[in-house]
Amino acid sequence: MNAQIPRQLLRRQLLVGGKRRLAGDVSRGFSSSVRQTQQQTVPPKIPRDAPATTHFGFETVAEALKEQKVGAVFSSVASSYDTMNDLMSLGIHRLWKDHFVRNLNPGRNPLTSPPSSEQGWNILDIAGGTGDIAFRMLDHASTINNDAHTRVTVADINVDMLAEGKKRALQSPYARTPRLKFVEANAEKLDMIPDSSIDLYTVAFGIRNFTHKDAAIREAYRVLKPGGVFACLEFSKVNNPLFDAVYKRWSFSAIPLIGQLVASDRDSYQYLVESIEKFPSQTEFRDMIRKAGFLVPGQGWEDLTGGIAAIHKGVKPAK
Amino acid sequence: MPTARLANSVLGSFRASSFRPALWRQRCLYHSYEYSQPAPFPPAESAILSSAIAHVPNYGFTLDALKLGARDAGYLDVSTNLLPRGVFDLVNYHLVMQRLALKDSVQFPAEGGQGNGKKLGIGAKVRTLTLSRLRANEPIIHRWQEALAIMAQPSYISPSLAELAKLADEIWFLAGDTSVDTSWYTKRASLSTIYSATEVFMTQDKSKNFAETEQFLDARLEEVTKVGGFLQAFGEWADFTGHSAVNVLRSKGLRI
Ligand SMILES: C[S@@+](CC[C@H](N)C(=O)[O-])C[C@H]1O[C@@H](n2cnc3c(N)ncnc32)[C@H](O)[C@@H]1O
Repeated sequence: MNAQIPRQLLRRQLLVGGKRRLAGDVSRGFSSSVRQTQQQTVPPKIPRDAPATTHFGFETVAEALKEQKVGAVFSSVASSYDTMNDLMSLGIHRLWKDHFVRNLNPGRNPLTSPPSSEQGWNILDIAGGTGDIAFRMLDHASTINNDAHTRVTVADINVDMLAEGKKRALQSPYARTPRLKFVEANAEKLDMIPDSSIDLYTVAFGIRNFTHKDAAIREAYRVLKPGGVFACLEFSKVNNPLFDAVYKRWSFSAIPLIGQLVASDRDSYQYLVESIEKFPSQTEFRDMIRKAGFLVPGQGWEDLTGGIAAIHKGVKPAK
Repeated sequence: MPTARLANSVLGSFRASSFRPALWRQRCLYHSYEYSQPAPFPPAESAILSSAIAHVPNYGFTLDALKLGARDAGYLDVSTNLLPRGVFDLVNYHLVMQRLALKDSVQFPAEGGQGNGKKLGIGAKVRTLTLSRLRANEPIIHRWQEALAIMAQPSYISPSLAELAKLADEIWFLAGDTSVDTSWYTKRASLSTIYSATEVFMTQDKSKNFAETEQFLDARLEEVTKVGGFLQAFGEWADFTGHSAVNVLRSKGLRI
């Protein structure tokens, strides 16, 4: 029990103006099946390092449950998802995504590339839910690189997020073209994607939700062609202590409240905030990428807005 | 504030488990020939960049040259992401490789050797080395203004200046300057200034065999000798105009 004290203390201090429901106290955000399993198998607190448990925000849950709970969170925020991203990123996630895509510079420009049998890039956007990254990739390839062949497969574990993406695709020029595909898949097991078939694997604001991040990175390595690139945009660790303090106060106290107002779903937002806090530091994550066999460019990552988010990349070695 | 500190201590347990394998770092080896020299770039970067340099005369210091280099090295277009600074990494590769090549491209006759009798002074050696480094830009000189523009971008100014300082240091070292007095900085600073001015001049030089660039360099070196009286005091610049000595070396087949 001793080990719990700092965490509860922390929680009490961080959650200004609102006590948090315990795991047993069910929120209206979670589906009823989750609610039941949750009540049966999750005692209010499990030490975070017990073997078969994992993190669901600061709550420690049995591993098998995490996937379900994550599913429930994203089902409940699917439509108000942009609002959430705006809040967490101080309104600049769109700029980060633009930068992420522009920097990867997807597409093969027929005017400057030597003729080759390959046309365009084969891109896999994991946890691509709403299609945000996919549309940007295709727009960039088409307008900047005059490339009408680059294609994106959007994979997400959650059908509601995929449905949202498909709906938005209808407003884009890519709906019902071979350039855009949606598949339901768990990033840790991409059986439908052949080995060495992908030029660029992207995951934006998704990997922190995966139960086994290392398994997902290994799958990325498998599906990438030699020379292919793993690129991850994710909330990260703020470097400046003062800014960190301010940002934490903002994210832990304000956002769940605003979440409640905009989406009437406080617990889902609370989860999102906590999952960010739990995500490994820039260096730790860089080392995970290296461990899977990737070469990393330079120091391995680029901080955005003082480290609120970071872009990590890895290149699968040729031969 | 205390909340953040507490959060940090709680999270500390996660961070503590991180391990840091030594980052691949290009070491600051100025005077490389004294000990065996590690490769200046990791193998994959090296493979892509060295292939890309071959495309610079046709494609310039551009992403296209990088992509073609990646293809030649068995990589993909997307693999250019291995170079976080993109085209600046290509420019930087040229700068580093040409600096390191200097010690092999210029060889001075051994001390007390026979032949022209008069041994070159440090000033003349500095001139020879500087000229040799400038001549290494010849194959890409029509693209060098692009490179200068890239180096002038805010985030690349500082690494570019650092590389320039290393070049000045290397030249003084290879010229045999061993002084560790207060002139150390001045010498490097003035050589850096002269080098970059001449480099820019060279991009516009249409004269045969860059004769005007050579004159421009000599004029700058002369200025320093006259104006910077204290440098003269060390006598190092005094004989840089030893054209005769340079001509002797040329007649011996040295490309300077
Ligand atoms: C915060 S959203 C990111 C959406 C989009 N990439 C963006 O940047 O706007 C996280 C997504 O990760 C998905 N996700 C969570 N766990 C996953 C898993 N194991 N495999 C695939 N997708 C997963 C969720 O369904 C959700 O759509």
